Amino acid sequence: MLECCNLTKSYKGKCVVRDLSFRVERGEIFAFLGSNGAGKTTTIKMILGLVKMDSGQVKIAEGVRVGYSPETPYFPPFLSGPEVLDYYAGIQKIPGIRRRAEIAALLDTVGLEDGGTRVRNYSKGMLQRLALAQALLGDPDLLVLDEPTAGLDALGRLEMLRLIGKLKNGGRTILINSHILSDIERICDRGIIIKKGVCLGSWNKAEEHSRSLEEIFLELVGGENE
Amino acid sequence: MKIAVTAFKEKIRRRDLYIVSGIGVLILLLFGSGTGSLSIDGVPVTDYRVLGPVMLTVVNAISCILTVVMSLGTIPNEYERGTSHLVWIRHVPQWRYHGELAFANVLAGWASETILFAAMLVFMLINRRADQLWRLAPAWLILGINVAAVSMLTSLLSVVLPKFAAGTIAAAAAFAGIFHSLLGLLKDMVGGLGGELIRYALKLVPDLHEIQAQAGAVLYGGRVDAHVVLCGLLAVYGYMVLLFAAKTTSDRVWG
Repeated sequence: MLECCNLTKSYKGKCVVRDLSFRVERGEIFAFLGSNGAGKTTTIKMILGLVKMDSGQVKIAEGVRVGYSPETPYFPPFLSGPEVLDYYAGIQKIPGIRRRAEIAALLDTVGLEDGGTRVRNYSKGMLQRLALAQALLGDPDLLVLDEPTAGLDALGRLEMLRLIGKLKNGGRTILINSHILSDIERICDRGIIIKKGVCLGSWNKAEEHSRSLEEIFLELVGGENE
Repeated sequence: MKIAVTAFKEKIRRRDLYIVSGIGVLILLLFGSGTGSLSIDGVPVTDYRVLGPVMLTVVNAISCILTVVMSLGTIPNEYERGTSHLVWIRHVPQWRYHGELAFANVLAGWASETILFAAMLVFMLINRRADQLWRLAPAWLILGINVAAVSMLTSLLSVVLPKFAAGTIAAAAAFAGIFHSLLGLLKDMVGGLGGELIRYALKLVPDLHEIQAQAGAVLYGGRVDAHVVLCGLLAVYGYMVLLFAAKTTSDRVWG
C-alpha cells in the first residue's frame, strides 16, 4: 500500500533522514520507532508531502485515501468537536447530507459524544481523539498517526490503543510513529527502528517469540539516547 | 470559504481588536465633542467641516495600524500550530489557503473600521447631520480600500518574511501610505539620495491619504476622483496576486 525508497532529508546541512526504505502492507499496523529526534516526524511529513524530500520516492497505491493525526493537534478553541469535524469535512468537500451522518458516527467511534463542549475545554486525551476523528473523515484507507499516545495519562493511553485496535479490525492500514515501546508492542504487527534518520533494523511481532521489542530496541539503538 | 470564515471568527474573538478600537472611538468622541474657542480664518476648529476630516484621518490611521497588528500573525500562526498540515493533506492549494486567510484578515480590518465608524456616526448626530448619515456607507467603502491594501500587504509580507521584519515593514508602509503627501513634500525638500529613497519607497505603497481624501469628499461634500479609488483597488489586486504567487515551506522556521 505504501512504499518508501531511499528517503533523504537534510536541514541546514544536517542530515535528519538518510536513505530510509520500508514498505507498509495493506491491513497492517506498521510502527515507526525511534527516540526523540530520530527523524520519525520528518519521515511522516515526507510521506504526506508536507516536507519536500531531498531525494527518494514515496509510492502510495493508486486511489488510496490518506488520513493524518498530528502529534500536537491544534483546533480553533471556540469550536466544539462536531464543528471542528464539520470544518475539515467542508474543506474535504464531503457533501452536506453525508457529512452530518459521518460526523455523528465518528464522534461515536472515538467516544466524544458530548458535542457541545468547546475545544478550549478539552483534555489532552479528548484532543487526541478529536484529531483521530478528523483523520478518519472521508473513510481513509491509510491512517498516519504521529505519536497518538504522547502526553496521555494511563487511562487515555489505554483508550487510544483500544481505539486503534478497533480501527485495525475494520481493515484499515495504520502507520504509527511512536517512542513508547509498550504501546507499539501491544498493537502493531511490524515496524522499523530508526536512529538519527537511519534504519537500524526491523521488528515483526509474528516472528519474535523469544525477545521483547524492548530487548530488540536496546540491542539496535545501543541503550544510549540521542 | 470555510477557512476564511473560521479564521475571521477567531480574529473577532481577540480582545485587542475591541480594546484598541474602543480607545480609538473614545479618542474620536473626545475630538468630536470639543467646545474649544480657537478659530482659523473665523471658523472654529470644532466646526463640523474642520473637525470631520481630522476625525477621518484618525479613523484611517487607527484602522490601518490595527489591521497590521491583526493581519500579521494569521498565516505564520497557522504554520506554527501545524493547522496548515491538516489543510494541505486535504489537497487545498497553498495559494487558496493563503488567499482565504488573507481575506479573513481583510474582514477583521473592516470590522475594526466599522467600530471606528460608529464614532463618526455619533459625531454626525451631535452635529445635527442625521440627513447625511447615508454618506457613511460609501465613505466606509472607500476607506475600506485602505484597510484591504494594508491587510493584503501585511499578509503577503508575513508569508515571505519573519514576523518581526514583516510587521516592521508593514507598519512603515502603512505609515508612509497615511502620510504619503507629507513624505512627498519631504522628498522634494531633502533631495539627493535620501530624497531618491523616499521617492522609491512612496512608489511601492498606495497613497492612503489620497484615498482617505476621497472618502472625505463623499462625507463632507466634494468631487470624488475615481482615478485615485481605482489606483487603490489596483494596489489591493497587485498585493493579492503577489500573495497568490508567494510560496512557503512547511518546515520553515517562523518567528
